[in-house]
Amino acid sequence: MASRYDRAITVFSPDGHLFQVEYAQEAVKKGSTAVGIRGTNIVVLGVEKKSVAKLQDERTVRKICALDDHVCMAFAVLTIFIGLTADARVVINRARVECQSHKLTVEDPVTVEYITRFIATLKQKYTQSNGRRPFGISALIVGFDDDGIPRLYQTDPSGTYHAWKANAIGRSAKTVREFLEKNYTEDAIASDNEAIKLAIKALLEVVQSGGKNIELAIIRRNQPLKMFSAKEVELYVTEIEKEKEEAEKKKSKKSV
Amino acid sequence: MAATFFGEVVKAPCRAGTEDEEEEEGRRETPEDREVRQQLARKREVRLLRRQTKTSLEVSLLEKYPCSKFIIAIGNNAVAFLSSFVMNSGVWEEVGCAKLWNEWCRTADSTHLSSTEAFCGFYHLKSNPSVFLCQCSCYVAEDQQYQWLEKVFGSCPRKNMQITVLTCRHVTDYKTLESTGSLPSPFLKALKTQNFKDPACCPLLEQPNIVHDLPAAVLSYCQVWKIPAILYLCYTDVMKLDLITVEAFKPILSTRSLKSLVKNIPQSTEILKKLMTTNEIQSNIYT
Repeated sequence: MASRYDRAITVFSPDGHLFQVEYAQEAVKKGSTAVGIRGTNIVVLGVEKKSVAKLQDERTVRKICALDDHVCMAFAVLTIFIGLTADARVVINRARVECQSHKLTVEDPVTVEYITRFIATLKQKYTQSNGRRPFGISALIVGFDDDGIPRLYQTDPSGTYHAWKANAIGRSAKTVREFLEKNYTEDAIASDNEAIKLAIKALLEVVQSGGKNIELAIIRRNQPLKMFSAKEVELYVTEIEKEKEEAEKKKSKKSV
Repeated sequence: MAATFFGEVVKAPCRAGTEDEEEEEGRRETPEDREVRQQLARKREVRLLRRQTKTSLEVSLLEKYPCSKFIIAIGNNAVAFLSSFVMNSGVWEEVGCAKLWNEWCRTADSTHLSSTEAFCGFYHLKSNPSVFLCQCSCYVAEDQQYQWLEKVFGSCPRKNMQITVLTCRHVTDYKTLESTGSLPSPFLKALKTQNFKDPACCPLLEQPNIVHDLPAAVLSYCQVWKIPAILYLCYTDVMKLDLITVEAFKPILSTRSLKSLVKNIPQSTEILKKLMTTNEIQSNIYT
């Protein structure tokens, strides 16, 4: 049945599926794993960095991008798109233009929810036009609003968006989400460091080669965004591994 | 020809009746056509070669060597699993390999496939030569599957051997009412022949239990010849080489056929991680 109703985006199947949109969600699963965590005073975005080709300039392969950076008030909107790289670039550009347009029109920077809604509406338009295909990308959008509350939103190719406390998208997202469901507790996000460690631990569940393949960015309330260097990520990874070893030693002592 | 509502062009049956002249012309085969057909058949031939001499085996593999246990890994994740967990826990000797060409192969030349290309290798355990292993990382096309089976199993196989097949499929092939997003992929399902009496280490594949390609051919062959065989199918949403998919095969290590062959699991996990990093393919299409 699927093969008769999945050729055109503008056609529903008899049981109400839009197969092209569902197939677009499969395209997202081909990208790397990204995780977003909303702490009490911090938002964290982490992503698996695939190894670049030898001759490729690593600096041009950034996955975490700022959509808006309001210098005086020092808050920003960070995003990561997972799925088709080219689609991500196009949507990021449109979102950035919208951020500036909004600032010039109403003299206020965008709220995280506004720009998420803009991106989601854009994605939805492409699921209802003939001759176009949906964007094969999901996004995690984080930031602080004027009121100082941290926000994390997720969008998907169908154009839906929701607020989350913690979420993962991309390859093996289900495994990471299950890890987060088990480990996202009030204690885990009590301090900024704990929230960062939770994000790294979640990624380490699926990232095959450890800390050097993780890209991490954070925004703390009233502070500019911070992109972590590989060394800083490694420090956290070493700390996590030490804690793991200590926990295992305690366990084995208890059992003895 | 007719165009449907969706813009596809479909061939409509002709109501004017069949044209006799056209049909006759189509049926006549010129010597050229015969030559081309024979060339194509030669190109697509499945050849089983001995390891040392690289000459073709005169009889089928299992007719030449007695076999009590045969484990076949089809696809890159299954091959990686056997490489890390089984082949590293004993001394395995290569007995031969199968060379074949079809449209899915990257090279155009069927005679000079190097050992790093996708291929099909056969090994037996030095300490127990009746235990066989096959690592098949190439795609065996539909017309080549029968040849492969004949060259490996022969036309009259022994019934006192046990076959275990490992392979992967994309989770969208799993027939279910739920959406694929809610399935706990990767997960393992089993399908066995009537004569396989041991318990499977995972749930059996529910109806409609359809399998494809070489694993299906092997199972059908075993069912017809009443050989006990079981297929372990891992449904995953990452078809390229992936650590989590390979680890989903781990429950099989507790089954009767593989328990005796596996010794050092932590070391195997390390070897698997190394295999992953050396095989990482960068793609700029997906971020």
